[in-house]
Amino acid sequence: MKKRTLLALGLLGAVSVAALAQSGKQLEFWSWYLSPKFDPYLKSVIADFEKANPGVTVNLVDKQDNMVRDLQASIALGKAPDVVNLWQDSTASFAQDGLLTPVSDLTTNDVLNAQFWPNTIGIFNVGNKNYGYPWYGWTDQGVMAYNTELLKKAGLTQLPKTTSQLLQYSAIIKAKTGAYGWLPPIKDPNGASFLGQFFLEGLAIYDGNGKAAFNTVRHAALLAKFVRLMKDDVIPQDLLRKEAFQLNNELYSQGKSAFIVGGAQALVRVRDANKDIYAKTRITEAPLGSAGVQTGGSMSLVIPKAGKNQKEAAAFALFMTSNKYQVQFAKLAGIVPTTKGAEKDADLKAANPNDALDVATSMVAGTGRFINPGWAAPKNTDGVYKNFNDNIEAAFLGKKTAQQALNDAVAFWNTNAK
Amino acid sequence: MNKSRGITLIAYGFLLPTLVLMGIFTFYPVIYGAYLAFTEYTSAYLGSGRAPTWVGLANFQKIFSDELFIIGIINSVKYLLVVPGLQLASLGVAVLVSRALPLMTFFRAAFYVPVITSMSLAAVMWDWVYNRDGLLNWVLEGLGLLQKSNAISWLGNENTALWAIMLVTFWRGFGYYMVLYLGGLQAIPSELEEAARLDGATPWQVFWKITVPIMRPTILLCSLLSTVSALRVLEDILVFRPDGGPLNSTYTALMYVYQKALGGSRFDYGVASAAGLVVAVIGFGLSYLNFRLTREDAPRRTVKA
Repeated sequence: MKKRTLLALGLLGAVSVAALAQSGKQLEFWSWYLSPKFDPYLKSVIADFEKANPGVTVNLVDKQDNMVRDLQASIALGKAPDVVNLWQDSTASFAQDGLLTPVSDLTTNDVLNAQFWPNTIGIFNVGNKNYGYPWYGWTDQGVMAYNTELLKKAGLTQLPKTTSQLLQYSAIIKAKTGAYGWLPPIKDPNGASFLGQFFLEGLAIYDGNGKAAFNTVRHAALLAKFVRLMKDDVIPQDLLRKEAFQLNNELYSQGKSAFIVGGAQALVRVRDANKDIYAKTRITEAPLGSAGVQTGGSMSLVIPKAGKNQKEAAAFALFMTSNKYQVQFAKLAGIVPTTKGAEKDADLKAANPNDALDVATSMVAGTGRFINPGWAAPKNTDGVYKNFNDNIEAAFLGKKTAQQALNDAVAFWNTNAK
Repeated sequence: MNKSRGITLIAYGFLLPTLVLMGIFTFYPVIYGAYLAFTEYTSAYLGSGRAPTWVGLANFQKIFSDELFIIGIINSVKYLLVVPGLQLASLGVAVLVSRALPLMTFFRAAFYVPVITSMSLAAVMWDWVYNRDGLLNWVLEGLGLLQKSNAISWLGNENTALWAIMLVTFWRGFGYYMVLYLGGLQAIPSELEEAARLDGATPWQVFWKITVPIMRPTILLCSLLSTVSALRVLEDILVFRPDGGPLNSTYTALMYVYQKALGGSRFDYGVASAAGLVVAVIGFGLSYLNFRLTREDAPRRTVKA
């Protein structure tokens, strides 16, 4: 009896809380993996927004592992959040399924183009419509951090300028010090990282008709080169199992790898994990592939179609992603603002030329206009990328030749990407 | 008459809260999931608020022609090999630690520690063990069983990854079953063992002729639990190989269900439910087999007695 009374009371409570929330305009904003570290930042932006928009309050919820699942469930249950932080792939698939409101339905192109670099808006383009407000971005190459002590031990006096030099240096460092050099993304758990290596070397992913075409002799030669490097343990086999960024961070902080190529945010973790190594770290421009391009991406803020306050949601998304707040965020987290004007912002000049993070933050902050998502994700992304990664893995484990693996991946891609 | 009816009503009254909760959170999902197995239902349906469409056996055709699902089933069945070893080992150790010897309480507690260790913590530790520069290779090299140049990453090799993860499952389940067996052992009257000893039975004979037969119900329970959880293994694998690699050698049937329903962003609930149903049917089959195997010679014993 008592249990039932309790249950009834609980239900009553839940109903009345829901009723309260209905009375004002309350937005629910889901961030992704930002709590607890960036709670103060997010809350300060929200406070500014609420001050500028009386009558609208914003409820911040940080989702982590279960973001996609929870969002999907909440839409199904009719309790969709108003503004959600997604990323390129998830924005595309939610948009394909018709779950998101196109940005152009809520904000004019003039406003969008004034605020963001056009290349960043294009990241969230699905079927000629844009579905995301570009939020904080990154460039995969960004800058290069290096451990001066390891380079000295290996007898290296110059810095690598290209990806292939970087790999040569990595072999020397491995031979002389036992530490790894650079850990390139080979098979990250999400996405199809090896396509990125093709892209950086200027090798096409698609042919003129939009069919997968990454199985030429040159593609195979590049894959074979990486396979050899892994066989010689110049790059660790764990790259097939763990995300390169994570593994690189782990090893670099222990003095077991010499380079980190990437955004400035990686250095925050190095600084927190190992002060000694951080002090020995210097920053330079990232070596690029022979195509001379950077790949990168950005987070999006999307508006689920099922959200009840579309107009206010759009206003909040624009506010959160504005240059002022992205610059603040860049100061805090070393992200790349996707907004115009960040590259000129005085706040982002390095204050201390000897502090690695400071220098890196300032160097990458202006690179928003270079963010290049690389190639359009295929339809049936999950299945096609899984097969691509399986084939890449088979090549690395010696089960298939590089050429065979790429042929198989292309064949599967062109049959199943529909 | 009236009184007994009253008692029945009261009994149901007490059962009601649990039944309602189980109805909502167990029976309904099971039945609805079984229904979804025969429908097409994806995120596109959810988004537009459409109801699932009946497609008959199409999902089953799809999964049985999907190589990944077949690989998953095979790997899950392979995973069952952990069950006999796990049961025998935990029963054996339970017998050892049930003795009134010094330090036994310590051992009991020590064997139970892995059960209450969080999976993520255990994963970090085992990751170090299985690494190419890890503890396992170091020990093998020290014993001269392995050349340094031949060292492998145990989770990165397609021939060892599944076995390596099975060992973790073994390590994690061992203490749990040991405690269940300890409970069962308390029920064996010590006279039986004593009598056998007096008749000249060796400890080995006592174990096989006295302990194991009397423990039959507990063994049945434990192997049933262990079989079902081995067939449904997912967490242990996800923490080490979220991709089911290398070369899909750790891709289990339930991982297929998980990937189809929640892994990407298509949310193919129909296909996932169909695959889940197949796993459930296999689970039922194995449970039935378990009952048959452990009951097999029970009637013969009664005749002899």
